[in-house]
Amino acid sequence: MSAIKDTFSPEEAKDLARSGSTPAVNQIVNFLSSVRFGVALLITLVVLSIIGMVIIQQNVQGFDSYYASLTPAERTVYSALGILDIYHSWYYNVLLLILSLNIILASIDRFPTAWKYIASPKRKATKDWLLNQKVSESLNLPADVESAAVEHVKRVFESERLKTEVSESETIEYGLDEEGRKDFSNVVLRKQVVVFGESGRFNRIGAYIVHVALLTLFLGHFVALRTGFDADVRMIPGDESDQIQMIQFNLDKRERFNVQLPFSIETTDIQQKLIDPKGSIDVPNTIDWRTQIKIKDPQYGETVADVSLNKPFSYRGYRFFQASAITMGSARNIDVQLTSQADGSQTTVTIPRNGSTKLADGTTVEFQEFLPDFVFGAEGKPDTRSGEYNNPVAVLGVTPPNSERTRVFAFAGSIAENIPVGAPKLGYKWRLSNYEKSPFAHVLSIKYDPYNGAFIAWYFGGVGLMGALVFVFAFAHRRVWALVEPNPFGGYAVTLGGDTNRNDAAFEERFARLVDKLGTRS
Amino acid sequence: MAQVISPDEIYTAEVVRPSSWTSYLPAILAIVGALVMLVLRIEIGQRFISDGALMMVALACYIFAALLQLTNLYAPSEMSRKIGLWSAALGVFFNLSSWFVRWVGAYDWEMAKMRASGNLEEPWVFRYIPFANLYDLSLAFAFGAGIATLLLARRRNFQVLAAFTLPLAALILTLARFIGGEFIDLPPVLDSYWRPIHVGVASLSYGVALVCFAIAVIYLLKDKVKVEAMAIWSSIFGLLVIATISKFSVLTQMIYRSGIFLPNAGGGKPFSAPFRLEVPWVGEALVISAVLLAGVIVSFLVYVYHQNETAKSVGHALLKLALIAQVVAIALLVGGIRGSSDVPAKLTSQLAADPSQYVIAGRAIAERQQLTAAEYSALSPVQLEQMGRQYVQMNGERLYLSLNTNPVELAGLLTALAATFFVILFAFRTERLRERLPSLESLDGLMYKTACLAFAGLAMLLITGAIWANESWGRPWGFDSKETGALVAWLTYAGFLHTRISRGWTGRSSAYFAVVGFLLVIFTYLGVSYLLPGLHSYA
Repeated sequence: MSAIKDTFSPEEAKDLARSGSTPAVNQIVNFLSSVRFGVALLITLVVLSIIGMVIIQQNVQGFDSYYASLTPAERTVYSALGILDIYHSWYYNVLLLILSLNIILASIDRFPTAWKYIASPKRKATKDWLLNQKVSESLNLPADVESAAVEHVKRVFESERLKTEVSESETIEYGLDEEGRKDFSNVVLRKQVVVFGESGRFNRIGAYIVHVALLTLFLGHFVALRTGFDADVRMIPGDESDQIQMIQFNLDKRERFNVQLPFSIETTDIQQKLIDPKGSIDVPNTIDWRTQIKIKDPQYGETVADVSLNKPFSYRGYRFFQASAITMGSARNIDVQLTSQADGSQTTVTIPRNGSTKLADGTTVEFQEFLPDFVFGAEGKPDTRSGEYNNPVAVLGVTPPNSERTRVFAFAGSIAENIPVGAPKLGYKWRLSNYEKSPFAHVLSIKYDPYNGAFIAWYFGGVGLMGALVFVFAFAHRRVWALVEPNPFGGYAVTLGGDTNRNDAAFEERFARLVDKLGTRS
Repeated sequence: MAQVISPDEIYTAEVVRPSSWTSYLPAILAIVGALVMLVLRIEIGQRFISDGALMMVALACYIFAALLQLTNLYAPSEMSRKIGLWSAALGVFFNLSSWFVRWVGAYDWEMAKMRASGNLEEPWVFRYIPFANLYDLSLAFAFGAGIATLLLARRRNFQVLAAFTLPLAALILTLARFIGGEFIDLPPVLDSYWRPIHVGVASLSYGVALVCFAIAVIYLLKDKVKVEAMAIWSSIFGLLVIATISKFSVLTQMIYRSGIFLPNAGGGKPFSAPFRLEVPWVGEALVISAVLLAGVIVSFLVYVYHQNETAKSVGHALLKLALIAQVVAIALLVGGIRGSSDVPAKLTSQLAADPSQYVIAGRAIAERQQLTAAEYSALSPVQLEQMGRQYVQMNGERLYLSLNTNPVELAGLLTALAATFFVILFAFRTERLRERLPSLESLDGLMYKTACLAFAGLAMLLITGAIWANESWGRPWGFDSKETGALVAWLTYAGFLHTRISRGWTGRSSAYFAVVGFLLVIFTYLGVSYLLPGLHSYA
């Protein structure tokens, strides 16, 4: 009895088929690395992203009123499904992770095939194979010797910027017997010369460069999210702090936590550049906000820097951005006009915020406070009614030589002299003649990203992705083969064939030019 | 007399290759001419033709060129082909000129304000580049579509594309007209060199996506997709537009209410009031259109699934009636808004008849005040009504109607009308039309190429946006609705490319992908700006 069983029952056949098929692990890997699975992931990602786009997310402006409009049942269901913060939900992140895995596996799976085009290009070709290419043509070259024909083809290829290689080989063919069948005893050795020309072969790995760039982007972004945090800090001129506030969103609640910095920040100046300096300090009238900070670092000493809109400042992994302003009217500097009660002479002095100046008689004038809309408060103390510049007043601390400091109010508008705050003091009538508008405080947002994940993600990954896409779509791998054989009727027969991986129309034009340059069609 | 030549000579010349640089001449002349207009605007000053007027001329050129190209499909003539091509070039020239002139106009506008207030600062010129709002973006988007069309029209057999892309470019400019071209105070965060890069890439890639969409539609037509199937989809679109405009009031109450403006004391773009005012007879006309479109859908579904020829005939008749009804509805809408007078009195009587509108308006006012969830929940209907009444008391006398209050609604209605018109056109001598179109193979190749460009362009859009956001506020990606919209469109084009590789989805399947991709681009461009909150609500 034969050791090999040659007849199987249907059940046995099934078992055999199973045992002979690809192992389960391979099947899973094949599935995970398939482009089909990748496309399914993309579609799922698209659907989830659209859900997140249509349903207002918890960190988006307007969420509060949207959340308030939901019924308790809707709130419960949406929260349970993570729909109100879908982009940070576990399933969205898992999906991104699986997509990354799919990209990696698909690249690993297909890269060797692509690399073959670069490492060992196909240099030989048969006539039949050539005639089955995207474009092909048969020509006759009127050359006397083979080397001249080959040289001519080579030169024409090179004139079309194709890198050429000539390969010679011998093929075995069999003669035919009287009945037209192959006669295996009659071996005929045939010499073949193939001129191979190609350009842009590295385009074959363009897709892999795109994938590497994408993965860099994902990874950098992931590192930035995992190792860093976002915070903000209020910048009031003259204030110094070594703490910043981190915000965490939890549906309609915003929780703030203090974060200790390894250095302290002092606000030395804030400025708001306005289109109309006499207009409001609202956003539409603003050109820019500038905050000058002084960093006092026990390890590295002092650093002074400016933070403007679109011009952040980086220090030890912390990046400071101009975020918003507290639009309570204030002044960056003031011009105070002093009219002497003795002789009526007028002097104007300019004083910066938190600064002081000295008059000719040795009197020191300090700019203590700015009240944009002066009013007497409930206890009769000076206060401001609003943040608007309706009735601006500069509160000054005036210290004459050898005397005590006195508080003086310099009004911008006219005020009766017979009330205490409007009355001349210390020999002068004080008037606020001009002031540079500025908000009470700026708010800087701070991004802590110790490993520069965002920078790596977007500058390396992102810019790399753009470059890779240009490389992939703007160039193509073009290959042309010319098989040169002696023509029994004289000259040399050239069979041309070519293909490209992209932009067929341009390749066809180029191929037509090659044919025109090479000579007569046979 | 126009020389009439055979269609073969005009449209089936598949092998016609563009002849060197002269094939770029229309595009080059359009751009160079626009640069000359820029110089003239700088030299002549504000007496020069305005950007709005140039935009309207561009719109007229696009429509004229599209008409010639469309006519050419049915009655080919070398002369009308040439005039069509050069009219398109002229449209691109005026379109770009309008954009350039607007750049100088924005500079002059802000400089006048600054100098009047004694501010002698001289901000950099890129601060005024017209990429500040949806009007600017629409001008650039239409230019992107126009220039892409001119570049494709280098190949004679692709000139037919202009018949499909130029009407779309004209629709975008019409939308721009409705949005209104008032200059805005530039939000300071937009004063960055990344803005021209980011928004420039957006407008060009949107333009390419539009061309890709047009090719996909032509492909489907050529591939013998039934015109009736197209009519079903265009009617569904039209129905959706009618159902959703005017805050869903057309199909639920048979009333169309238009948005109302409150003038801006600062002279800038007016504010949208939280009320809407009924425009007489528009609701009724739109309901009739909707009923006819629904009839079209039912009839053609019966025809497609049961091959019922009677249903087919009925469907086509209903489709033509729907076109007429849509034209009437839009005419009533435009006439009603333009001829409106005494808006405050009309609004008062409307509110007296239905006081619940005060509550709806009060809710809109409260939303603008950025209240917390607790504060918002605490507002009672009485308080909301009070807020609405207070608004009318303070501003009622200054409210007015304008076509610019409802740009997306008007654009939606016009797009639905254009879709109905094109389907009727396709149904007219369909086979003859199909013969004129380029081969399926070349259309598929071109669709693939434009999809690749759109994919690369959208990738650049996302990345430049992320880098800009990272430079501006340290948050490269925040899933803002516009960011997500662009990502979704990009992923769809990624799907287009990958299904070609993995499943060999070329031709019709690819065309469907291209259509979906462009719809998502349009949603990102318009829908997100007007319907969803986010950082990009200015554009």
